[in-house]
Amino acid sequence: MKSIRRVAVCLLAVALAAVPLVANAQKGGKKPTPAAAGGAAGAASGTPAPAGTDTIEVDDPNAPKDPNAKPPETPPADPNANAGGGGICDIDPTACPKQSDIKALADKKVNAEVYAVEQEFALKKGRFELNPYGAVTLNDQFVSHPAFGLTANYWITNVLAIGINGNLFAGLNVDSDFNFQNRRATRVAVPLTEYQWSAAAQFTYVPIYGKFAGFNAFIFNYDVYALGGVGALATRPIAVIDPDNRKFESFTPKIDFNVGLGLRIAFNKWFAATLELRDHIYIEQLESIVVPRSQTEQTNPDTWFGDKPLTNHIQAQLGVSVFLPFGFEYRLPR
Amino acid sequence: MSAENSVMKRHNLRSAARFVVAGIVALGVLGASRSAKAEEIQITGPLAGAPPVRKLRLQRQGRFEIAPSFSFTLLDEYRRTMVVGGSLTYNAFDWLGFGVWGGFGAIAPLTALSDNVNESSPRNTRTAVNVGRDFGAQVSKLTWMVVPQVQVAPFRGKLAIFGKLFVDTDLYLHLGLGFHGLDERADCDGGGCVGADKTMNSRVAISPNFGLGFKFYTNNLVNFGLEYRAFPFSWNRAGFDQRGGGNDGKFPDQKVNGDDQTFKFNQMISLSVGFALPAKPKLSE
Repeated sequence: MKSIRRVAVCLLAVALAAVPLVANAQKGGKKPTPAAAGGAAGAASGTPAPAGTDTIEVDDPNAPKDPNAKPPETPPADPNANAGGGGICDIDPTACPKQSDIKALADKKVNAEVYAVEQEFALKKGRFELNPYGAVTLNDQFVSHPAFGLTANYWITNVLAIGINGNLFAGLNVDSDFNFQNRRATRVAVPLTEYQWSAAAQFTYVPIYGKFAGFNAFIFNYDVYALGGVGALATRPIAVIDPDNRKFESFTPKIDFNVGLGLRIAFNKWFAATLELRDHIYIEQLESIVVPRSQTEQTNPDTWFGDKPLTNHIQAQLGVSVFLPFGFEYRLPR
Repeated sequence: MSAENSVMKRHNLRSAARFVVAGIVALGVLGASRSAKAEEIQITGPLAGAPPVRKLRLQRQGRFEIAPSFSFTLLDEYRRTMVVGGSLTYNAFDWLGFGVWGGFGAIAPLTALSDNVNESSPRNTRTAVNVGRDFGAQVSKLTWMVVPQVQVAPFRGKLAIFGKLFVDTDLYLHLGLGFHGLDERADCDGGGCVGADKTMNSRVAISPNFGLGFKFYTNNLVNFGLEYRAFPFSWNRAGFDQRGGGNDGKFPDQKVNGDDQTFKFNQMISLSVGFALPAKPKLSE
């Protein structure tokens, strides 16, 4: 019994190892005979199919001749037969195509269905995307608000996703040295603010995708996406007008609309690099640039707040995307 | 009983370990076979050694390109600059070109901060060195730029817009040495700095220029470009006395001179329309 079991195990192991090599065998082995050269039976036997099978190789002058094959029975030449028409001309001479018709058909434009960008490299439908990133401010020369963030998307289709996004700014705001220089030189101060966090629900749409060849040596795929969302951004003023009396402790969330544009470069089916521009649009609360005359009023927090301008905070985000599950299968071959 | 149990457990553990090892070996064999298969196809398949793209339209190789452009600066503190200019490039290869980019600062509006300073800054002894009667007149200007440069286009492809419109595209990097004409507050010392009208002077700042851009080839002759350019150098953007004094030179010294030029990572975005000659590009193999 044991020896039978060992033999069975050995056979199983050999079969397991051999299965993936079957495809390789085609490479080194004999080139398969095209089906047209003799049909399935002929391909299997290595001989051309006998006359009378469905497929006949008519263009191959080097095709081996079957000595047993009967020569095709050629009907006697009919001097009245139309050379270009075949049987239809015998049945209905009026339907017989003329040479001019054939030329017109040959010149007719064919609307071939050729795709400039074939099969999308990485399908997204039904997958989750996690996109951690680092962000820097693009449009604030007074205070920069670098951040670490995370976007999580679920792709409803290959071009549309819903998701959430969050940024952590706390402890990363940088008051530019230029503010101090300007205040000292001109005695004019610019109200400044700092950020703590932001969160938003968003949708993402992919209108553009394509592929690039690098030095014509390798290819990578990319897509361009647009996003929109709404959420909250927590900010507070930095006391620069009257820092002796004013101290802004709490961060207040403001309604924050997000719009953005991004580029995603796929390294493989589940890993990509992303570069995104995101505009946070919100109503900011600035410090008042007016300092009351009396000490009592100066220490009254109600006098500390000033304008509420519509503010755009544009940030550039550089990150990576991981798609889950890692794999997917095409349902169509193209 | 417990001894028997422990022997049984040991036996089961050994069997389980054997299965695990056998499983790992089998997976290794399978995995190795699969990766080997991919390698063999790459090396010996019918496409072995073939370029990833055949009959590629070489939009750059052997062609001259003239591209009028409009550029605007980013993150300006006191004055924005819009540069009208263009580039002339000869592309020796599809991935390498040589040329020159340049332009004039045609429009240079003040920022809101400059307007605010002009309106709100007190004119007294404390600000006399730094703020003149018309603050806008003392704010520096970028008047012209000339940049001999090389362009390297490592990435070439196409993009599909809404799956309907297809455009040849390339991504390129550019690197050059920039010559920048500046109108900047003239050097002054002591009483010469406190006049109501500040004197301006011209100078040329030399710095590296670098960045990247996209070109979208709508047809064989015309393309559209979007480019980012960085040109960092030090200059006194507002004409202030802000450096030169104190133990570390970081305090005002009642003089305006080269010490007051501070480093700025200048940046701009350019939009261009390019015309390439000869009008018909070559095709790759």
